[in-house]
Amino acid sequence: MNTLIKLEVIRTLRNKKFMFFSVLYPAALYLLIAGGASETELVKGTHLTLPLLMMVSMASFGAITAVLVGQSERIAKEREKGWVRQLRLTALPGRGYVTAKVASAAVVSLPSIVVVFVVAAAVKHVRFDAAWQWIALTFAIWAGSIVFAALGVAIGYLATGDAVRPITMIIYFGLSALGGLWFPTASFPSWVQKIIEWVPTHAYAALGQAIEQGNAPHLKDVSILVGYLVIFAGAAAWLYRRDTQKA
Amino acid sequence: MTTTASTFTGEGRRTGAPVVSFEHVSKSYGAVKAVADLDLQLYPGETVALLGPNGAGKSSTLDLLLGLRAPDAGRVELFGTTPQRAIEQGKIGAVLQSGGLMEEVKVRELVKLACDLHPRAYPVEQVLEQAGLTEIADRMVNKLSGGQEQRVRFALATAGANELIVLDEPTTGMDVTARQTFWTTMRDQARQGRAILFATHYLEEADAIADRVIVLHRGRVLADGSAAEIKARAGARRIVFDLDGHIGEGALRELPFLAALEISGRTVRIQSHDADATVHALYGLGLYPRNLEVAGLGLEQAFIAITDAATAEEAAR
Repeated sequence: MNTLIKLEVIRTLRNKKFMFFSVLYPAALYLLIAGGASETELVKGTHLTLPLLMMVSMASFGAITAVLVGQSERIAKEREKGWVRQLRLTALPGRGYVTAKVASAAVVSLPSIVVVFVVAAAVKHVRFDAAWQWIALTFAIWAGSIVFAALGVAIGYLATGDAVRPITMIIYFGLSALGGLWFPTASFPSWVQKIIEWVPTHAYAALGQAIEQGNAPHLKDVSILVGYLVIFAGAAAWLYRRDTQKA
Repeated sequence: MTTTASTFTGEGRRTGAPVVSFEHVSKSYGAVKAVADLDLQLYPGETVALLGPNGAGKSSTLDLLLGLRAPDAGRVELFGTTPQRAIEQGKIGAVLQSGGLMEEVKVRELVKLACDLHPRAYPVEQVLEQAGLTEIADRMVNKLSGGQEQRVRFALATAGANELIVLDEPTTGMDVTARQTFWTTMRDQARQGRAILFATHYLEEADAIADRVIVLHRGRVLADGSAAEIKARAGARRIVFDLDGHIGEGALRELPFLAALEISGRTVRIQSHDADATVHALYGLGLYPRNLEVAGLGLEQAFIAITDAATAEEAAR
């Protein structure tokens, strides 16, 4: 199983086109949105600047893009080509396949996060009070992206061919908007906000927001994310096995 | 290939528990019955060819055997357990027509993966060597030719000590040399007591390699026996000769036991249910056939004769 993980990571790194876009696209988007913003003016209702807020948002958004969109399409393609069928004839258990896929996704999301941070610090002079915040943010956003990598694997098994992209996009945009990655959810009615609290992207964004304000992430958000990880990874492993029944 | 089927016929076949067992297995896709009440047993050390026209149910049978699909009715057992469990125990190696390969990796890396996943794996270099991949081991998988890809699939299927090897059209895309090397390797595997099941379009391969031939037709077993038995079952023998001067087709048509007649130029080809009587009558006509050959039908002709007869029988019903 370790060989499969290693191989999945190696081949992801070898796919230069995929790496290039996944790693650089969030940073480019960051410059587009926060490039002209003031470095000192605080965003209303917070004691943080726009470049800092957007840095965390874009790092999270970029990490989700890389793992969710990237994984689901690559897996759907692999299924079509029959590689999964071939792999199914080896002694590899379903959880081994899912673990390898999630690990290879994590390899892509880490540099995409770091690049956003580096660009924000260098171009927009984003600084924190304490150095631990940088490390904690990197780790939290990276670890959180694993949840969505598992979701990407599950979608890759659920959908086939032409349906993969639209399905991924609907889930991706839906989750991003509901989770408040694009705009604040404070203006939504309170009953909607009650539901939104349980959306994985909301918990994910909350991790970063807690750290950027100098606090530890809430236990509730961490628990929600772990819960989703179990559900998504379980679904992915189940779909991998089921896929072979009808492949 | 000079080896005859007898090379493969090990003593004491069909002893012990079956490797593969189909019991009244049926599988339909919508209204199409792909496999219909199939009963089939394979035994250790057998080399079995699965023949059948397109749509006969070969691929469906292999899918059911490998647990890639579940039967609608009946039971498929491998080594006395489910296909899934037998695969997890590393007892089966399979090359599928539809099996793809992982891309963006080198041949050696992919073969190493297969070795690492197999509970009784061979050394990577040995697997590469056996599959004839040593020289292209450092090439990227997505840059290979069709025949090379097929060799990689074969390497994946033989990465460890399997007890059953399943091959769907294994030599498609290979040139003659590669094909011979491939079957030499398979013979070694069979000699080590492994059961080999292969579906093929190349009937001469089935004739030369298999010690048992199963002909499928519309999801059922139409014939099951040695290549010689299948040929005998088709009943006819083939007579070929040249004639000088005028060829009286009408007179040739009157020959006894005639099953088919074909004249092209000076050459006459006859299929007869009793070749001895037909040749005797030929001389009785006062003809002088030159370059006379009398032979059994090839497996291909026997195969066509058997499946045609089955189709005609069904149409008559």
